[in-house]
Amino acid sequence: MGPQSALTDFLASHNISANQIRLDAEARRRAAGQNPDGSPVEGTEVVAESATAAVEDETASPEPAGRRRRATVAAEEKRKKEQKLIDKIKASKKFQKRKRNDDEDSDYEDDLARAIFQERSAPLPGQMENCAGCGKRFTVTTYSRNAPDGGLLCSPCGKELAKTEDVPKKKPKRISGALAGRRQVQSNILDGTFYPGAKSLMTLCIETLAKNIDLAEDLGDLPEPVIDKIARKLSKHRLLNTSTLSLFIQPTVEQIYIYDCAKLTADDFVRVFQTAPNLKKIKACNAIHFKDEVMDYLLSRNINLEDFYLHGANLVSEAKWKEFLEKKGKPLRSLKVYWTDKHFNDGSLAVLPTACPSLERLKVYHNQRVTGDGVKDIAKIKTLRHLGLDLREPVHPDVFVGLLAAIGKDLETLSLARMPDLDNSVLDAIHNRCRSLRKLRLTDSDTITDQGFERLFKDWDNKELFFIDFQKCRQLDSVKPRENPNGIGLCSKGFTALMEHSGPKLRHLNVHGCRNISAAAFEEVFAAEKVYPGLRKLEISFCEEVTDFIVGSIFRSCPNLRELNVFGCMKVKDVKVPRGKILVGVPNALGMVIDGDDD
Amino acid sequence: MATNTDAGNSKYVTLVSSDNYEFVVLREATLISPAIKSMLLSPMREGQTGRCVFPEIHGLVMEKIVEYFHYWYKNRDKTVVPDMEIPVDLCLELLVAADFLGLDSKLLS
Repeated sequence: MGPQSALTDFLASHNISANQIRLDAEARRRAAGQNPDGSPVEGTEVVAESATAAVEDETASPEPAGRRRRATVAAEEKRKKEQKLIDKIKASKKFQKRKRNDDEDSDYEDDLARAIFQERSAPLPGQMENCAGCGKRFTVTTYSRNAPDGGLLCSPCGKELAKTEDVPKKKPKRISGALAGRRQVQSNILDGTFYPGAKSLMTLCIETLAKNIDLAEDLGDLPEPVIDKIARKLSKHRLLNTSTLSLFIQPTVEQIYIYDCAKLTADDFVRVFQTAPNLKKIKACNAIHFKDEVMDYLLSRNINLEDFYLHGANLVSEAKWKEFLEKKGKPLRSLKVYWTDKHFNDGSLAVLPTACPSLERLKVYHNQRVTGDGVKDIAKIKTLRHLGLDLREPVHPDVFVGLLAAIGKDLETLSLARMPDLDNSVLDAIHNRCRSLRKLRLTDSDTITDQGFERLFKDWDNKELFFIDFQKCRQLDSVKPRENPNGIGLCSKGFTALMEHSGPKLRHLNVHGCRNISAAAFEEVFAAEKVYPGLRKLEISFCEEVTDFIVGSIFRSCPNLRELNVFGCMKVKDVKVPRGKILVGVPNALGMVIDGDDD
Repeated sequence: MATNTDAGNSKYVTLVSSDNYEFVVLREATLISPAIKSMLLSPMREGQTGRCVFPEIHGLVMEKIVEYFHYWYKNRDKTVVPDMEIPVDLCLELLVAADFLGLDSKLLS
């Protein structure tokens, strides 16, 4: 024997011979060459372990006789070794300790000893092992699975086992408990659908129905508002497709509101018109496949629509729009066209005054080819009561002045969204012409001045408005952002005049971003003796002067207020919120305060 | 059967289903339904006896509705409310009954 290394010395002192290990490894390699069930020798304990595996394999798969005899002899030896080890375990202190804790039963004793034995003899990760399933050699990892009858499985066999076992798959981790609820509540608040307390039974039912919509065959005789709610819920979950659409189209229906048509095809629209000949009102959002062919079909049928709402129908051509309006325009009372790029244009609007003698409601939102010329034609629709425009092309204020002079007297709704060029002349025209207005929206103007607003509301012969939205009517100057020498936008005087005129009946007020309204104006408007019983929703975000005191005064003056938005009001710090009210956008980590404790 | 003369002011009311099952429910909990509320507040027999008969609503559905009344009552002041389980097979009938009793979303009122 030559010189020995320190390691060999160390191993020898622990009764381990390096030579023996080498010999064993060679023998094993030889065995592996000829016999796939050859037993590995990793350490004495592993020998015994793999021997049991070999025995089990033996019984599982018949093999040539010679090999079997050799294997049986080897197995016999290994089993003896195993028994010896188990006896050793039984004698050990640890075993005695464990046994003492449990009841003294000899059968149990054997099982326990064997369990400890297997626990100890399981190969550690990184070692090689023979698969208990296919017998192939593989590297043991922490993910290696146990075979049902002892031993370890290689990864392909482990996967097979996982497939056959119906262990419930771990669900993706979901945030549950109070946190999930809180998140949902905040999400609902921003959606504007939050209400404290339990959901209504109808909502619960509709949610259950939406979840199981594939089981429903027929919605039965539910009233129209309920069906509409179901339609909304389904669309929200993007479940409206060819098959679920069938639930809504009955031969007798007069209205079909489809809030998400993204999954519908042109044939589905045709089917709607086929099955529902009495259709009066149709609403189709995201109606990409509402194409010329659908229009053709509609034109060929004897359907007299009164209410036509189309969103995103880019594939209806200009000529088809014209044809539709000319042929089907007569009964039309409401026309709403949203988000069409090119084909709904000035030409289409020019047809309206003659083709639609009973049109009361017109909305044109986000249509790139509608310009001032089209708006001039709208002025010729004498029956119009409600007008909503959100155009991409700049329109000169004079056009609106002309429009208001022509049809302003009877207008109930005027909504001019995103009109940066709107100026005081339009406000004066509203003041002079409009007498029946209930809803007014003029947004994003950086030309209208405070005086203009004041003139509008002072001694106006119009009744109180229900709805006012002057969002982002303010001075915009990147060089001197703080100064507003010309009083551009809705400022203190305009705001005071507004509340004086419409305050008692006002339900919804949006002065988002009108940042020149002073604290004094707010305090005056929401003074202790003033009450605004109608106000339900107030949006004063980015009105910089708003303080805790003002927010408190608002809650005091508006007993029926449900929601108050104060995003970007940095002076709001710590407000007491009365019970049942929602305060959104407080500049702190909480963000939203709802349903305060104060009565 | 409630023959008590004070039944009109009792803390509990009796709801009777089409198949004559009777459910005794906390009066305050039933007031969420505008339909039942108006029945109980009316000078008619329902208002006097505190007993409402619903020949349109089956016992199974009524049971669920009564469960909802208690669920609503228990959670009326909470902000985070776990959803009540609705059996899928009763869903449509329950929807009709909810519509009948006015157990509608507060958004519309």
